[in-house]
Amino acid sequence: MGIRLKEDGSSRKKLFITSILFMGLGHIIYLKQYVKGLLYAGIEIAMLVMLPNIIHKLNDMITLGTPKPDLPVKLRDHSIFMLIDGVMMLALIFLFVAIYIISVRSAMADYKEFCTEKRLKTNRESLSRILGKAFPVFGLAPTVGLVVFFVVVPLIFSACVAFTNYSSPEHIPPNNTVDWVGMDNFVAMFGGDSTWTMALGRVALWTLVWAVLATATCYFGGMIMAVVLMDNKLKVAPIFRGIFILPYAVPSVVSMLVWQNLLNGSFGTVNRTLMQLGLIEKAIPWLSNEWLAKFTTVLINLWAGFPYFMLLVTGTMTAISADLYEAAKIDGAGRFQIFKKITLPLVLYQTMPLIIMSFTHNINNFGAIFFLTGGSPVVSDSTITNAGGTDILVTWIYKLTVNLMKYNYASVLAIMIFLILAPFAIFQFRRTKSYKEGEL
Amino acid sequence: MGNKWISRINLTVVLIILTIISLGVLYPLVYVVSAAFSPGNSIASLNVIPFGDGFTLKHFTHLFTKTNYLIWFKNTLIIATSTSISTIFVASLGAYVFSRFHFTMKKSMMLTMLILQIFPSFVGMIAIYVILLRIGGLDTLWGLVLVYLAGNIPYNTWMVKSYIDTISKSLDESARIDGANHLTIFWKIIMPIARPIITFLGITSFTAPWMDFIFPKMILRSADKQTLALGLFSFVTDKKNEFTVFAAGALLVAIPFIIFFIITQKTMVTSFGGAAVKE
Repeated sequence: MGIRLKEDGSSRKKLFITSILFMGLGHIIYLKQYVKGLLYAGIEIAMLVMLPNIIHKLNDMITLGTPKPDLPVKLRDHSIFMLIDGVMMLALIFLFVAIYIISVRSAMADYKEFCTEKRLKTNRESLSRILGKAFPVFGLAPTVGLVVFFVVVPLIFSACVAFTNYSSPEHIPPNNTVDWVGMDNFVAMFGGDSTWTMALGRVALWTLVWAVLATATCYFGGMIMAVVLMDNKLKVAPIFRGIFILPYAVPSVVSMLVWQNLLNGSFGTVNRTLMQLGLIEKAIPWLSNEWLAKFTTVLINLWAGFPYFMLLVTGTMTAISADLYEAAKIDGAGRFQIFKKITLPLVLYQTMPLIIMSFTHNINNFGAIFFLTGGSPVVSDSTITNAGGTDILVTWIYKLTVNLMKYNYASVLAIMIFLILAPFAIFQFRRTKSYKEGEL
Repeated sequence: MGNKWISRINLTVVLIILTIISLGVLYPLVYVVSAAFSPGNSIASLNVIPFGDGFTLKHFTHLFTKTNYLIWFKNTLIIATSTSISTIFVASLGAYVFSRFHFTMKKSMMLTMLILQIFPSFVGMIAIYVILLRIGGLDTLWGLVLVYLAGNIPYNTWMVKSYIDTISKSLDESARIDGANHLTIFWKIIMPIARPIITFLGITSFTAPWMDFIFPKMILRSADKQTLALGLFSFVTDKKNEFTVFAAGALLVAIPFIIFFIITQKTMVTSFGGAAVKE
C-alpha cells in the first residue's frame, strides 16, 4: 500500500476507507489537494472539540433538567432552553453528516477523474475547480443556514413540545421544569378530556367549513363579477371594475379592524344606521351571536377576497380564444350555454391550482378571523379552552400560546394543521414541471 | 323590437345590481375616510352619515405630534425594504442553484422546502423567541427582518426556481464558453430575464411586513421600535377606542398602497397567474 493511487481504479476501496476514517484525509494523502483537505479536516476537528459540549446538550435534552426548588430561580434548570439547544445540536450534527457525505463523494469523484486523465490535478487547478464546483455550496449556504435555524429548528421544537407537559400553571420554566409525557397530550385532545376534545372537534370542523366557504364564495363571487363586467355592452364596466378592486388594495388588517368597529353590536355604525332607517328594532349581534358571527366572517371575507379572483378570472378569460365563442354562436348557443360549456370549464381548469392555494391560505388565514372577531363570541367551553365561536386552528394556537400558555396543546394543533395540509403540498409538488419531467 | 327592449331592461337591472354592490364595497372605505376627518373620538359618537359631523384635520396633527406615528412609519419602512432586498437576493440565488446544478441531497432539500412552506411561521414562535434571545436579536429591527427572511425563503425559492427552469440552458452554456463564471451568469443573464418574477417577489415581500402583527408584537418591545400595525392596533383595543385617530393613521398607509397597487396590478395579476400556471 503506497500513498500513490493506481490508475486502473483498484485503489477505490483504499481511498474510500481513508476518506471515511477522517474527513479530508483522502484528499490530503492521496489526491494531494491540501487546501480542500485541510478545510474538511478543520471542520471535523472543530466538531470533535465541541463533542463533549454537544453530548452534554443532548443529554440535557433527554432529561430536560431536574427540579431544584431550593436554588434561586436564575440557577435552576431551564428545560425550554435545554430542549431548543438540543434540537440545534441535532441540526448541527445533521449538517456535519451532510458535509461528511459530500466530502467522501467528492474524493471518489476526483479519483474517477484521475483514472481517466491518468494524472493528479495540480493544486491550482483544484482551487479554480473549487470556485466553480463550490458555487452551489456558497449559493445555498444562506438559504440552508436561515431555513435550518429559523424554520426547521423552531418547527421541530414545537413538534417536540407536543410530547411534553410545557404548560401553565405548573410547568413553566424557569420556576419549574418540563418533562416528557409521551402521547398524553394527544390522548387528552382526542377523547381523554371531554372539554378539550369537544373544542378540538368544533374548531377543526369550523376550520374546514370556513376554508371551503371562504374560498368558494370569493371564487364564484369574483367569477360572476368578471363575467358580468366582460359583457361588451356595458360601457361603464371599467368604472365598476376600478371600484371592485379597492378592497384588495387595502391592507387586510386595516379593513378587518374597520369592519370590526362598524359591526360592533352596541355602538357599531351598521346597527345604528339600520336603526335610524327604521329597518330594525334592536341591535343585530353581528359578531356576538355564534352562528351570525360565523356568517359575518365569511361575508366580510367575501368583501375582501372577491377582487383577487375577479382580476384573475378576467385575466384568464381574455386568454380564451375568440374563435371558440364565434363557433359556439354560429352553432346557436345562448349566452348561458356558452358560459356553462366554454367559459366555466376552461377558467376552472386554468385556475384550479390557485383555488387550491387559496384554500390552504384560508386554513391559515389568521388575519381574517383575528382582527375581525378575535375568535369571539364566547361559547360554552371558552372559559377553559379559550376557543371562541369563530376561532380556527391557527387563531386558537395563537391564543393557547399567548393567553393560556398551554404550549403543549398548541403544538398538538400545529401537528394537526400539518396533517391537514400535507396532502395539498404533495399535490402541488406533483404538479410541478420538475416532478413531471422526472428530474426529482 | 321586443328583443331590444328585453336586453335594455336586462342591462338596467344589471346596472342597478352593480350599483348596489358598489355601494356595499365602498361603504366601509368611505366611512373610514370620513371618520379620519370627523371631530370626535370613538366610533360610537360618529354620525352614521359619512361627513355628517363636519371637517377637521386635528387627528392628523395628533398623529404627528402626540404619537410616535413617524417613528412607526420609519421602522416599518426599514423592515420592509430590508426584508424585500434580502429575500430577493437569497431566494433567487438559491433558486438559481436549484435550477442549474446537480448535487447530493438536492431532491430531499427541495421536498423539505415544499413541506416547510405550509406552516405559518408563528407555529414555531417560542423557539424563534429563544433563538433571537440567544443571538441578541430581541427588540431589534434586524431580528425581525431575519425572521421574515427565513420565513419567505421556502416558498419563494420554489417560485423563482420554477421560473428559472423555463429559461433556456443554452444561454448559460454559451456564456460559459465565453468564460463567464457562475456568479456572472447569475447576475448578468439569469436575473435580467427573470425580472418579472423578481419584481413580483420584491413587491410581495415588501408589502407583507407592513401589516404583519404577530412577530412585531413578540419581538419588538420598546416604544421606539414599534411598527405601524402595532401602533394602529393600539388605537382600537378593548381598552380605548380612538377610531378617528385610527382611521387617520390607516388612511395614510392605505393611500400609498392603493396608488401603488393600481399602478402595478396588471403586472401583479399576470405574474401571479403566470407563476402558478407555468409550474
